[in-house]
Amino acid sequence: MPRYSTLSSIQADLRAGTTSCVALVDHYLQQIEEHQQLNAYVEVFAAEARAKAKVLDDKYQSDASSVGRLFGAVISIKDVLCYEGHGVTAASKILEGFESLFSATAVERLLAEDAIIIGRTNCDEFAMGSTNESSYYGVTKNAADPSKVPGGSSGGSAVAVQADTCLFSLGTDTGGSVRQPAAFCGVIGLKPSYGRVSRYGLLAYGSSFDQIGVFSHSVEDAALCLEIMAGSDEFDASTSTKEVPAYSQMLQFDKKSKIAYLGTALHHPSLDPEVKAQCQACIEKLKAEGHEVEEIDFDLLDYIIPAYYVLTTAEASSNLSRYDGIRYGHRSQQAENLLETYQKSRTEGFGKEVKRRIMLGTFVLSAGYYDAYYSKAQKVRRLIQQKTFEIFESYDYILMPAAPGTAWDLGTQMDDPVAMYLADIFTVQANMVGIPGISLPLGKHSNGLPIGIQFMTNRFKEAKLLAFSNYFVNKIAPIEE
Amino acid sequence: MEVYDKYETVIGLEVHVQLDTVSKAFCGDSTTFGAEPNTHVSSISLGHPGTLPKLNERQIEFAVRLGLALNCEISPVSYFDRKNYFYADLPKGYQITQDRLPICIGGYLPIWVDGKEKKVRIHHIHMEEDAGKSMHDDASPYSFIDLNRAGVPLLEVVTEPDLRSAEEVDAFMSGMRQLVQYLEVCDGNMEQGSMRCDCNVSVRLHGAEKYGERCEIKNLNSMRYAKRAIAYEVKRQIDLLEAGGSVEQQTLNFDPGTGITSPLRDKEDAHDYRYFPEPDLPPVVVSEEYVADVQANLATLPWVMLERLKTEFGLSDYDADILYGNKEVAQYFLDFTKVNQNYKACANLIINKINPYCQEHQLSIAAFPVAQKVLAQFIELIDSGKVASAMAYQRILPVMIEHPEKAPLAIAEELNLIQSTDTNFLEDLVNEVIAAHPDKVKAYQKGKKGLLGFFMGEVMKKSKGKAEPKSTNQLLRHKLEA
Repeated sequence: MPRYSTLSSIQADLRAGTTSCVALVDHYLQQIEEHQQLNAYVEVFAAEARAKAKVLDDKYQSDASSVGRLFGAVISIKDVLCYEGHGVTAASKILEGFESLFSATAVERLLAEDAIIIGRTNCDEFAMGSTNESSYYGVTKNAADPSKVPGGSSGGSAVAVQADTCLFSLGTDTGGSVRQPAAFCGVIGLKPSYGRVSRYGLLAYGSSFDQIGVFSHSVEDAALCLEIMAGSDEFDASTSTKEVPAYSQMLQFDKKSKIAYLGTALHHPSLDPEVKAQCQACIEKLKAEGHEVEEIDFDLLDYIIPAYYVLTTAEASSNLSRYDGIRYGHRSQQAENLLETYQKSRTEGFGKEVKRRIMLGTFVLSAGYYDAYYSKAQKVRRLIQQKTFEIFESYDYILMPAAPGTAWDLGTQMDDPVAMYLADIFTVQANMVGIPGISLPLGKHSNGLPIGIQFMTNRFKEAKLLAFSNYFVNKIAPIEE
Repeated sequence: MEVYDKYETVIGLEVHVQLDTVSKAFCGDSTTFGAEPNTHVSSISLGHPGTLPKLNERQIEFAVRLGLALNCEISPVSYFDRKNYFYADLPKGYQITQDRLPICIGGYLPIWVDGKEKKVRIHHIHMEEDAGKSMHDDASPYSFIDLNRAGVPLLEVVTEPDLRSAEEVDAFMSGMRQLVQYLEVCDGNMEQGSMRCDCNVSVRLHGAEKYGERCEIKNLNSMRYAKRAIAYEVKRQIDLLEAGGSVEQQTLNFDPGTGITSPLRDKEDAHDYRYFPEPDLPPVVVSEEYVADVQANLATLPWVMLERLKTEFGLSDYDADILYGNKEVAQYFLDFTKVNQNYKACANLIINKINPYCQEHQLSIAAFPVAQKVLAQFIELIDSGKVASAMAYQRILPVMIEHPEKAPLAIAEELNLIQSTDTNFLEDLVNEVIAAHPDKVKAYQKGKKGLLGFFMGEVMKKSKGKAEPKSTNQLLRHKLEA
């Protein structure tokens, strides 16, 4: 079976009769089997996916026009997205054995277009981490080099696409959790605008930052997936009622653009010299193609990470309060009363990083500290929003490295949380502001690992971002498979 | 006693009004009271992973209604916040409430104590969701949780410390209950927990400027308990001060069994609720047009109704007081006056017969079996002098209730109760009676005028109740004094 990188090529073969949904599912199941050591999946829905494939093949046979737009798309979803009747644990012991009673709106919309969900993917516990090492189910390994991390928190989804175990995969991005692992694994990672895709059925980490995104091999697949998932949802009051353009039909690009890059980012001391050089080469190539690319000042860069961690941990400390061992999930067997039920269930159920963030979030919201931390961070957020929107008054896109370097060795960052937090420096801005961002593959580092480059644009301008991205991967930096 | 008289009681209230919406504040679960435990629940009200609150717009309308009725300022933009704490009946580990900027600010509720009006100032009204219910059974090592109530919308009305006695608290709570009923935002039923209040009680020497340290008595779900709790707490605080001690800020629980308040927690281990903006809900925006629309459709307020009953319909204080106490009854009266203009008679009929009948049979007054049009005929029958009032009430009304389709006049005829004003018929009766009691006639003529009643009675007896009293009276007097 060929390694498909677009749904359109799969659907062409389905129409030609050279493949079938069952054959596709079998192929991907075999790939999963072969790459089991990467630990990309928490659970594989093998029998169910095969059965669904059979049903879809039959449906297509009886009436070719009756199948949905995602006919032939075998996908995976991060283990923080609800899928009715299936387990969802956020890679945490505290939700061991929990099954959701409903499907996330995004998942439901993909299913309605005949996507086949082959499994749920591994991630950092409650999406807290940049390495996938905080999962209760063990670390996921980078398929480019299994001694390296895949990035996080949606590392499992990135690897699932990277290792060709599914066509595309849903992740979530609170501070870079789609774009950074996409960069580490050499795939495309799209984070839409806040409010573009419903968060209903996404296990909340930082509610005002969280957004469902997609990993794919092609921009057209990312565009189609977003087009289907996006749009207002009565179950999520933060979704926008703005109409959803047909992104997948709007990928032609023939304009000259104005692109800004932040001097503070490209000259940041944490940036790997080779990554920097690749980005600079990219800038030259874009200029040569007639685009205006300019360096701009943005002196707030170093405030982004601290403000982000204050705000997300504050929200997380509250969002994770529901995991108390009372109604569902892990309940300590050692508890003798209510207080002990809370203390012991949560002590046993949560991992170290999650506890660290709950404590940090609880602290910054405490009486006497609220103004110094939470309020201050909110002001920083508003300032960053304002300054970023100002950039888009003059520029179409912001160019930025997706991560300071390439995937690092397993087990090297977990002891230094601050170093790990700083690895989000280039991705967090999009979440702070609520704008869309995409990470595109930019070849390989001399260490053999993938590099990613990121583009951002103004809120709800995904159509523009995707069209540019499609141009970029075709003309500026073709993706090597 | 003088010791206690030295002190002034100061009370502020936090009144929880459970809103009469069909579904919960942030999901579609039913809010009906009294269902089997844990049957009105869903993924959202159980706080399942991935769920988000879905605003029920109705609660905003209700909040604006109450705010307008209480003369509050309606915030054009208000916010939801999260109040974080752990408890088994709080599924999400936080309560969605309004902390920074609530929907209604300021305002007052007029109350009447000893015939005098007092305006009790409102600090603010905010929206929030209710928690579930915990049931503790001493015989079991477990507590039981019912989450039917979790997520039911509440308005919390917070007053300024303007109340000075348990009687004023009673008047305030009655006023609130009546108001929420008039506005149709809550059934006002304290027993079912639709209205509850927390009392902040402190005492200070009369004339003192500063308030004393206050204690909060939680979850008083009946006025009887509230009065007892306040009386106990006031005495406890004064005794403490008189003994040279000081009152400590505490949260108290009142045990109706013992009549004693006891600390739930004190200031040191007071909760830090870590309020912060609810990121899952956008700001609540209330436009001027919206407020104007709610105002235009606002029900008549109770105190306006009371005034109207007295001035427009000329009812006595007593009658008006009874009728306006319950919105349905007042409305029933208003409807009644459209078909019969003897307002006093309408009021009497409602107060003496219709309302007691409905209460006894647990009917809403609108469900009284006899139509108002027919009841109007009943009043006309009395007013026209065809049937004696007492006869009508005693004999005709019961038949009307049994046979609501029958006209009162027809019943009167069937029962042979039509009074006679036929002078020949009356004259014969009067002559007969005078002839039968010559000594009494003499006594009357000598000045024992009180005997007129005796003669009236005799005539009535002979007429079997059909003699019309006024004409009979005139005729008797004429004959006796001739």
